[in-house]
Amino acid sequence: MTQRLYSAFKFALPLLLLLIFWEFCVQFFQVNARVFPSIEAVFSAGLEAVNDGSIFKHITASLGRVAVGTLLAVLVSIPLGIAMGLNPIVSDFLSPLFRFFSVLAGIAWIPIATLWFGYGFGAITFVIFNAVFFVVTYNTLLGVASIPMPLRNAAASLGANGWALLTQVILPGALPNIVTGIRTGLGFAWRGLIAAEMIATNEGLGYMLFLARDFYKTEVIVLGMIIIGLIWLTIDRLMLAPLERATIERWGMVRRA
Amino acid sequence: MMILLKVWSFYLRIAVKFPVLKTIVPFIPLIIAWSLVTELQVFPRAFLPGPMDVISAFGTLTYKGVLTQYLEDSVVRLAVGAAVGVALGIPLGILVGLSDRVRQWVWPILLFFQAIGDIAWLPILLVWFGFSLTTITLVIVYTVLFPIVLNTSLGVRSVSVDLHRAALSLGASKLRVVWEVVLPGALPNIMTGLRNGLGYGWRALIATEIIVGTSGIGFMMFDARRAGSVVEILLGMVVLGTLWYVVDSWVLAPIERATGKRWGLVTQ
Repeated sequence: MTQRLYSAFKFALPLLLLLIFWEFCVQFFQVNARVFPSIEAVFSAGLEAVNDGSIFKHITASLGRVAVGTLLAVLVSIPLGIAMGLNPIVSDFLSPLFRFFSVLAGIAWIPIATLWFGYGFGAITFVIFNAVFFVVTYNTLLGVASIPMPLRNAAASLGANGWALLTQVILPGALPNIVTGIRTGLGFAWRGLIAAEMIATNEGLGYMLFLARDFYKTEVIVLGMIIIGLIWLTIDRLMLAPLERATIERWGMVRRA
Repeated sequence: MMILLKVWSFYLRIAVKFPVLKTIVPFIPLIIAWSLVTELQVFPRAFLPGPMDVISAFGTLTYKGVLTQYLEDSVVRLAVGAAVGVALGIPLGILVGLSDRVRQWVWPILLFFQAIGDIAWLPILLVWFGFSLTTITLVIVYTVLFPIVLNTSLGVRSVSVDLHRAALSLGASKLRVVWEVVLPGALPNIMTGLRNGLGYGWRALIATEIIVGTSGIGFMMFDARRAGSVVEILLGMVVLGTLWYVVDSWVLAPIERATGKRWGLVTQ
């Protein structure tokens, strides 16, 4: 326990120093508040946003979009990726297509998404769905294709029927790739979300930042950046990275040197 | 049925000789399906133009010189941003990788700033530099920098201490160890970082061009969106996708593989 506290402290110390450095620079050089805010300004902006509840509105809007888009995409793309990956001929044929679209995923779809769905929830969810869908499908496809055929044949010759083969050989074998795909896809989706919110909505963290820019409210911009950073740090380092490590340890095909 | 089988086997035989076909042929059914959907008017034409419209838009825009100019702008911005990012990122990555003390202080800050993400910097950069080229370039440098720093330091740390000591005991100076042991050892990781960074970088470029927009492919797409002309948006997407696909799979991936083969610490 004390060990963990100590390492958390060691992690937080440089960030604390950075805060002190920031405050020092602002005080010492008399930086104009329209160029860069002081810590107190950011803090009071945060307090104000908490008091009038606007910050929670923006955060729930952003997180809700990410959750809906990602969930839909994962639900569709894993079965699809497995179905396409099962047959080597099909997966060989289709993988360039999915590679092309996963290269395009996310931000490049913003213009056409806003045209098809109008500004608002639909367009942004579509962009997120898109970013996650193609990356996860492509990775699932690769994961299923990377399971050695002898493994599948062995299971089949031991009498595994379709369902058992799916749940006990193919799904576990593809899982490390699937989780990596979800992590990459979410990374693109999060960036796409911020960009899309700046362009196409009236709610959410990206919108909050971009609105503050119109009034040169740098303290709100910096507050928004810190919140975006903290949320992504929590999602990526505390949830996705451990999940990825655990799946690779448990199901990955580790080759001993 | 027999004809289909014949076509298929012909394709397989040809594809062995010309591997390029394997990446091109899968797109043919997709394009046929696309033109079928537009011909049958499943969606109104203004919503989803057919492949022919996109090709003719490609013709006119190239003829007018708009497309080539915008493409050049985008590629130059990405190249400049990436070059600066590499020039800053590799030394910083080596420093972070070599020294435990530097790493302990810098690592949390790096992680935090990486998490803020490129696009989130855009509003404050706009306050500082206005709608200018500096803003676009800074966003790209920022995006490219972090994957390179993180991967370089990972690569530096993957070089075993024994190799350091061997070179030192053979009389190499510290600088030479960095140049001849650490850098080559980290090169495969650096290339991976560069590839990731460029991947994130050009996505950020599209977003900044949409928002800051004075020229470039992202600007072209969003300008077309304002005018409601879907053809040019689709054209932009096809150009972007093709360009990046070609760069990634025919330039970056082979380089990454080659450095991995040449300098990677392959354990058999």
